[in-house]
Amino acid sequence: MRNEKDLLQLINAHFDPLKLEIKRKQNISVEFKKEGLIQALSFLKSHSYRHLSTISCVDWLDEGEFELVYHLFSYDDLINISLKTRIKRDPGIFQTAKEIWPVAEFYERDIHDFFGVKFKGNDNLEELILENWQEIPPMRKDFDTRKFVNDKYEWRDYNGQKHTD
Amino acid sequence: MNNNFVKGSWQEILDWAQNKSINMLHYCTGCGAIELPPTMTSRYDMSRFGIGPAATPRQADLLLVTGYLSTKTLRRLIYTYEQMQAPKFVVGFGSCTINGGMYWDSYNTIKQLDKYLPVEMYIAGCMPRPEAILDGLLKLKKMIANGEADGYKRYEENLDFYHQNQEAILGEVQRTQ
Repeated sequence: MRNEKDLLQLINAHFDPLKLEIKRKQNISVEFKKEGLIQALSFLKSHSYRHLSTISCVDWLDEGEFELVYHLFSYDDLINISLKTRIKRDPGIFQTAKEIWPVAEFYERDIHDFFGVKFKGNDNLEELILENWQEIPPMRKDFDTRKFVNDKYEWRDYNGQKHTD
Repeated sequence: MNNNFVKGSWQEILDWAQNKSINMLHYCTGCGAIELPPTMTSRYDMSRFGIGPAATPRQADLLLVTGYLSTKTLRRLIYTYEQMQAPKFVVGFGSCTINGGMYWDSYNTIKQLDKYLPVEMYIAGCMPRPEAILDGLLKLKKMIANGEADGYKRYEENLDFYHQNQEAILGEVQRTQ
């Protein structure tokens, strides 16, 4: 059973991460260059980090980047590790992790729904949660939710006043 | 049944019978569904008033829309409603169905349920407590007994209005007929 420091040493010995951090007990965050991330995922999987909890995405509009976060967990070490990487917002394409964890296909479809990130190697990127979505992906920071809602839906009228006033 | 036959006093008998036995479709759309188990089970026990859950749309009279309704769920709700056999009643549940509630600026939830389905009544609250639900359902019973709950007739009469609104949000909608 490794502790947090052992794990950081293990990653440092094999990879060249941009940033390593022990967030708190049983919780580690590591930033990678985008080239090394998929390799790091398969390396960690072979070192007992078998569970991919989820993949999440952050839209950094000002930097023009998407940040992808892969959350792994080990049942042997009982440590959560977040692997982060940044990709360019345009064109927003990254490698799939489907070959390592088949379930990643669904997480990637989810991210494709809400952020429009494409994953090379994942051919099945059709809508998972949204339905008939025509606009830009709704969780992008440049999607104007308020304007979209005002255009699409009608507010209930309370004697000439709206409850949103 | 022939419409000419079902009139006058015979309709009153039907309404009286109808309000004594309401089968509620157990279809839960939002967080409001969490208030239904205490309403159904021994703490508040709505079967005292002749209201019970039903398993399928074809056996149900009452469709409770429990809370926020995403556009994706709205499509399924319309399919469900059109499968139900008349007389059928829709009750909007919580502030989300009235004006969007706390999801008023969400891109993916509808703001006014009565534009898409004929609503008999709304139960306000976020969420309504079981007491409020029972109060609302008792009022619905009175409305049915007095022949005021005529949502399914309004739906047939204003079919174009409802279909237009549904299609404006959802695009194409499959119809059962």
